[in-house]
Amino acid sequence: MAVAGTSGTGTRSTGSMVAAASTNNVTSFQRRGPRASGADSGCSRLVSIAGTRRSVRNGQLLVSTGLPALDQFLGGGLAVGTVLLIEEDKYNIYSPLLFNYFLAEGIVSGHALLVASAKEDPADILQKLPAPLIDHSYKKECDEDICGHKMESDIKMKIAWRYQLFPKMEQGRPVLSSGFGHDYDISKRIPQELIETSKWHGFFLPEKISSTFNVESCSLTSGYMKLLQFIQNIIYEEGFDGSNPQKKQKNILRIGIQNLGSPLWGDDICCAENCDASHSLTKFLYILRALLRTSLSACIITVPTHLIQNKAVIARVTNLSDTVVGLESFIGSEKETNPLYKDYHGLIHIRQIPRLNNLIYDISDVKDLAFKLKKKLFTIEWVQDNYLRQERNIYPPGFSYLLKQKDSAWGEGSLQHSTFLMSFLAKATTFASRLVRHCEPLKQTGSGRIRQAAGPRLWHDGRRQEAPGLLVTPP
Amino acid sequence: MLESLLAVGGLMLLRDSVEWEGRSLLKALVKKSALRGEQVHVLGCEVSEEEFREGFDSNINSRLVYHDLFRDPLSWSKPGKALPGGPLEALRALDKRTVSGPATIALDSLSWLLHHLPCPTLCQTLHALSRQDSCPGDTPPGEQVRVLGLLHEELHGPGPLGALSSLAQTEVTLSGMMGQASAQILCRRPRQRPTHQTQWFSILPDFSLELQAEPPLESQPRSDPHTPSVDPTTHLTFNLHLSKKEREAKDSLTLPFQFSSEKQQALLRPGLGQATSHIFYEPDAYDDLDQEDPDDDLDV
Repeated sequence: MAVAGTSGTGTRSTGSMVAAASTNNVTSFQRRGPRASGADSGCSRLVSIAGTRRSVRNGQLLVSTGLPALDQFLGGGLAVGTVLLIEEDKYNIYSPLLFNYFLAEGIVSGHALLVASAKEDPADILQKLPAPLIDHSYKKECDEDICGHKMESDIKMKIAWRYQLFPKMEQGRPVLSSGFGHDYDISKRIPQELIETSKWHGFFLPEKISSTFNVESCSLTSGYMKLLQFIQNIIYEEGFDGSNPQKKQKNILRIGIQNLGSPLWGDDICCAENCDASHSLTKFLYILRALLRTSLSACIITVPTHLIQNKAVIARVTNLSDTVVGLESFIGSEKETNPLYKDYHGLIHIRQIPRLNNLIYDISDVKDLAFKLKKKLFTIEWVQDNYLRQERNIYPPGFSYLLKQKDSAWGEGSLQHSTFLMSFLAKATTFASRLVRHCEPLKQTGSGRIRQAAGPRLWHDGRRQEAPGLLVTPP
Repeated sequence: MLESLLAVGGLMLLRDSVEWEGRSLLKALVKKSALRGEQVHVLGCEVSEEEFREGFDSNINSRLVYHDLFRDPLSWSKPGKALPGGPLEALRALDKRTVSGPATIALDSLSWLLHHLPCPTLCQTLHALSRQDSCPGDTPPGEQVRVLGLLHEELHGPGPLGALSSLAQTEVTLSGMMGQASAQILCRRPRQRPTHQTQWFSILPDFSLELQAEPPLESQPRSDPHTPSVDPTTHLTFNLHLSKKEREAKDSLTLPFQFSSEKQQALLRPGLGQATSHIFYEPDAYDDLDQEDPDDDLDV
C-alpha cells in the first residue's frame, strides 16, 4: 500500500503515509502525529495555531485561560471545544476578573472573540480588559519575590539544604516561552489599538430582544435561543467548524458569556425553586457544548450559582460543563477573620476537570487553593497551613497549635516531633484496637460449636489453644 | 451618609419589614431629591395618591409626577384605551418618558410588582430603567437616574430577594432597636468591595430625615469573653521542651549528609562550566588517615 504512492494517484488516507512516501524517498513510514480535535483530518502536518499548544499527556489542543496559575491547576490549559464554567462569588467581584483575563488572552493571542452579556454592553467590557505585561518588568518583580524567599531559606536549612533554591510553594512558572499564557496588569486598561485590530462580535441581550414579551413556545428562553443562533451563525460564517466552503479558518473562537442564568437573561432559576422553564439553562448548555465540540472554539461562562435556588439545577449545570471552577470570597463571611486566611481574599475550588480521550483525570494533588488580588495581579496559591487543618482530624484540637509554632524548640525533622507523633499514634491505635472485639464468648458449647475466626483464642481457663495432634492434649 | 446615597445612580432597594416600615423613608428620600430640583416620578401601587402626597408641602407636590396604579390596576374603567400591559406598560412608559437630566423614580412597592409580574421580566425592566445613561463614564454621577424601590422582605422567598439584591447598587435594610430605627446600608460599586454601614435615623413629621448617633447600648450581660486558654503542654507524659544542654548537644551533632559549605554550594549550582566533575572528600570521624597501605602486611 505504501509503494503505490509512486504513481501519484495515491489516495490520501488520513494516516498520510502514502503522501509521505511520494515525497520522502528515505522511508515509506512516517510518524503519525496525534489527531487534532476535529479539524485536521486529511492533513499530514499539524497546523499550529497561534496561542495554543498540545497537552503533553494526551495531545489535546489547549488554549490558555489567561492566568498561568489557573492553567497549571487545570492540567495545562483549557481544551479547545470545551466549556469553562465559573461559579461566581457572592458579590461578583472576582469572577469578572477571570472572565476578563480569558478575553484579554484571546486578544493578545490573536483569536476571535464573541462576548455575550445581558448586563453590560460588550464594547464596554472590552474597554475594561487588563493590559498585557511586558515580559521583563514582571519577571523582575517575580524574581525579587523568589530572592526574598531564598534569603530566608539559606539561613534556616541545615538538613534539607538541597531544597533551598526551590521556590517556597508550588507556583506556576510565570511566562512560558512559547507564547502560551501571558501576564496582565489589572491596574491598566488594554491599549485601544489592540482592541481595534482584534476581531470581535458582541451580543447584548437588551438590544437583540424584541420589545414585546411573547410567551415562548419552545422550552428555551428566547434570550438563550437568540444567543445560540448568534453563536451558530458566527461559527458558520467565519468558518470555525470547517463546513463553510468559502472560508477556511485556522483560528480559535473564544466565547465569553457573562452571568448566564441570572434573571436578566429571562431565566427564572434564580427566582424560584420550582420554576417553569427549569430545563432552559440545561438545554442551552447541552446545545452549546455540541456547537463547541464541532468547532475550534473555547468558551467561558460565569453563572451565579449562589442565587440558584434548586440544588439539583446546580448539579445538572455542573455535569453539563466540562471544567468547573468555583470562587468563594471571604467578604462578609466568618472566614474573613480566620487567621489562616488572613493573606487571601477567597478560596478557589476546582470542582471538575474533564476526562477528554482519557481514563483518568489530569488533576494536581493540591486541594486547598486560595486567591489573592494584589494591586496588579491575581494570584492563586496553595493555602500554606493546609496539612495542619487536615491533621486536626486525628489530633485533638490543642495539639495543632503546637505543630504550628515556628519558633518552638523543634527544628525541622527533629526528634521531638517524631517521637511525639509516634507516641500519640501508638496511643490512638491501642485505644482503637480495644474497641474491636477479638474474642468470641469464652464459654465453649458442645457439638454445635463453630470454628472461630483467627485471633488469640483462649480456653476458658486462660491458656492458648495448642495445635491438636502434635502436642500433649491439655489435661 | 444617607444623603450621599442619593448621589449614586442605579437601583436602591429599601427593604422593610412589619416592625420597621419603609414608606416614610421612601417619602423622605423623594422629598430630598425633589428639593434638589430633580424630576421625581412615583409609581404608586399600594397606597392611594392622596395618602402618598399627604405630608408633603405644595412645592414638593407640584414636582411629583404620580403614576397611579392603585385605583385601577387592571384598567377596567378604561375599556377603550389600548393599555393591556398594566404594570409592565406603566414601567416601560416610565423608561421612555424620562427626559435628560437627573431623575428619581420611586416605585412604591416592588413587592406589588413582584406579585403581578414574573420576576425575570421585572428584573430586566428594572435594569433597563436604571441604565438610562448610555455609558456610566460619560454622564457625571449627579445626572444619573436612580430608582428607589420599596420591598417588603417578608413577603418573598430567598429567590426573588437574592435576584433583586444582585441587581441593586445599594441595599438599605431597615431594622432598629428600642424604638430607634436604623438602616444597614450595603453599597455595591461595580468592581470594588461592597461597603457596609449602619446609620441610625429618625423621620420627622414633615418627612425630613434626621440622622442620629448610635443610641447607647444598655449593659447586656456579657458572657465571659476569655475562657482561660488551656496550655496543652502541661500534663503530658513526655517532655516537649529542650533544656540548654540538650539544645547544645543537638546543635553540635553531625548529621550524615551534612557537607561542608563548599561542597553544598557546588552541589547546589551544578554545571557552572565544569567539564570534569569534582570529587569532594571530607573525612568522617571514623576514617583512618594513615597513609600506609594495610595490604603491605599480607604475606602473599
